[in-house]
Amino acid sequence: MTRWRSSAAYRLALLNFAVFAAGLAVLGTVVFVVMHISFVRQLDAGIAEEARTLASEYKSGGGRELGEAIAEREQAGSPERMLYAVFAPDGRRIGGSLRAKRPNLGFHRVTFIDPREGVDVARGLGVDLSPNERLLVAADGDWIERIDRTVVGVFLGAFIVACALGFLAAAVLGRYLRGRLRSISSTAEAIIAGHVRRRMPVSGRGDEFDELAKTLNRMLDRIEGLLENLRQISSDIAHDLRTPLARLRSRLEEGVLRAPAGGGTVQLIEDSIGQVDDVLALFAAILRIAEVESGETRRFFGPVDVSDLATELAESYAPAIADGGRNLLWRIEPGLMVEGDRELLAQALVNLIENAQSHTPPGTLIRLTAIGAGEHVCLQVMDDGPGVPEVDLARIPKRFTRLDTSRNRKGYGLGLNLVSAAARLHRGHLQLKNGKPGLIAIIDLPRLTALASEPEAALAIET
Amino acid sequence: MRILVAEDDRDTAGFIERGLSELGHNVLVAGTGEDALHLLSTESLDVAVIDRMLPELDGVSVVRRIRAARIETRIILLTALGRIEDRVEGLEAGADDYLVKPFAFSELAARVNALARRQGLQQNITHLERGGIELDLLKRKVTRDGDQVILQPREFRLLEELIREDGKIVTRTMLLERIWSYHFDPQTNIVETHISRIRAKLNEGGKPDAIETVRGVGYRMAGND
Repeated sequence: MTRWRSSAAYRLALLNFAVFAAGLAVLGTVVFVVMHISFVRQLDAGIAEEARTLASEYKSGGGRELGEAIAEREQAGSPERMLYAVFAPDGRRIGGSLRAKRPNLGFHRVTFIDPREGVDVARGLGVDLSPNERLLVAADGDWIERIDRTVVGVFLGAFIVACALGFLAAAVLGRYLRGRLRSISSTAEAIIAGHVRRRMPVSGRGDEFDELAKTLNRMLDRIEGLLENLRQISSDIAHDLRTPLARLRSRLEEGVLRAPAGGGTVQLIEDSIGQVDDVLALFAAILRIAEVESGETRRFFGPVDVSDLATELAESYAPAIADGGRNLLWRIEPGLMVEGDRELLAQALVNLIENAQSHTPPGTLIRLTAIGAGEHVCLQVMDDGPGVPEVDLARIPKRFTRLDTSRNRKGYGLGLNLVSAAARLHRGHLQLKNGKPGLIAIIDLPRLTALASEPEAALAIET
Repeated sequence: MRILVAEDDRDTAGFIERGLSELGHNVLVAGTGEDALHLLSTESLDVAVIDRMLPELDGVSVVRRIRAARIETRIILLTALGRIEDRVEGLEAGADDYLVKPFAFSELAARVNALARRQGLQQNITHLERGGIELDLLKRKVTRDGDQVILQPREFRLLEELIREDGKIVTRTMLLERIWSYHFDPQTNIVETHISRIRAKLNEGGKPDAIETVRGVGYRMAGND
């Protein structure tokens, strides 16, 4: 039900249906009321006509003539028979056979006793013939009630059928709208997931959805073009800038071989090679982040046991960190799975551990934990070092951010940027917190359960 | 060894050619993909070093075609791009190794040697031995001159790699790729710390150093030449 309520398609379709049903109800009521009133008027006109006729009989022939006229009418027994009574001022019935009380003047409901049906109700008109005689002409309105009942019955039946059809139509319409919208959103999801060549389906009917799909497709073509352009530029930079650097590096390497031993020339050239390597490493890091941010790497995603990965990493790093005078402790929950790229996840963790190592004094304790919490896997690296000022927490995952303002320390401020990009690629995020003391870095990733992996697999087959 | 170098950049080609020749290899150079394909299908070669971006026919297509023609020459692809998808594509096409430019010549030389060795590698060896160090691959046990040495699983695999290369240099990046499957370069030298632990365990009791560090390149088992 909540699913229905949250769907705009169903909401619109149902609203449409509700308005239609309300309109139908109003229409039915108006028709019924107007019809009923006109029938009553018709009845009243008949009664008034009859009263006038009888009054003129009375005027021309007095009480006797009237009595005869009434008796004649009562015996005729027409289907629309009228009922008559003449009353004395004291309420006594002195003519006619209608068993009712002396009426007031004008139209009103008359309760009388029908010899066959018992107490009944009719519509009557009271007219004074003379100061002593009051005539009551009444007509049984049963036929109006019968027509009313029939009309209401027919209308209710029609209303229910119309509502059922309308509801069905609303459901079909809602389903249709939802389906068309869902095909657009699932395509968008696939594109986000890295299938950048996918396009919105166009039904060929040329409707609004097709218009939208075509517009979106044009937008996607344009974005893809721009991305392609960007990628082209990146690889051009990679190629055109790295190639001369590579040449320079190989020249320098040959220089080492040909340099005379001693005199410090070899050392000088080797230092230069080291500096060239630093620049090349910077290029590599920028290109790597660009690659990760493009999302294309998702195509190579598979199930990764992060518990395994983190354990191996911790075991491999513990000796190196111990050699550097710090300590690494780890607590890793077994069997945590995520959908991703093993190497990128490893690199993200390596960057966090290396950050914790290079920005803290010796003696620092670095802790690595991996826990599963519901649908999440949290990889956490924390240290008890000097930490990061609160104002800088949001700034440090940005590219080229270094808190060391002199920029003398090694590194380009790309480490956390890669971690953040890698976390986003895995549909998670990087969170930095003050541990008081120290820094806590948390990579929050969606956990891979057997169920969650299925749509991804279906997607992969589809493309 | 007869080695083909397919590289359109003359400087780089010359650098590789000179380096490999100095190591005593017989080097052929191709400047285009078509030339490389022609040489690979007509000459008997041990290893081919092929650049990914070649004129006429790109490196990956060259690899695909010769693999389709069942030519088993060992291939190292070179690339200016270190992207994951490039590496996957290269290896899927049938390349044996993958090296991102620029590289230290010693890295390429070590990989060429490693590939050439792999050709003659026997599959079901259960024991490895070199310079008094014996590895039982089934029981995962190490002895040196008969004394047992206790190594952690990762240390065992490192030592195994070194001994399998039989005194040839194994580079730091090769070890990172083979033991950890990391194709990136961590700042922390985890290989070095592992090697120094293995070394300490092997050399216990004042035995001569079993592992030799080749400065700036990698490691090899001691006792060469």
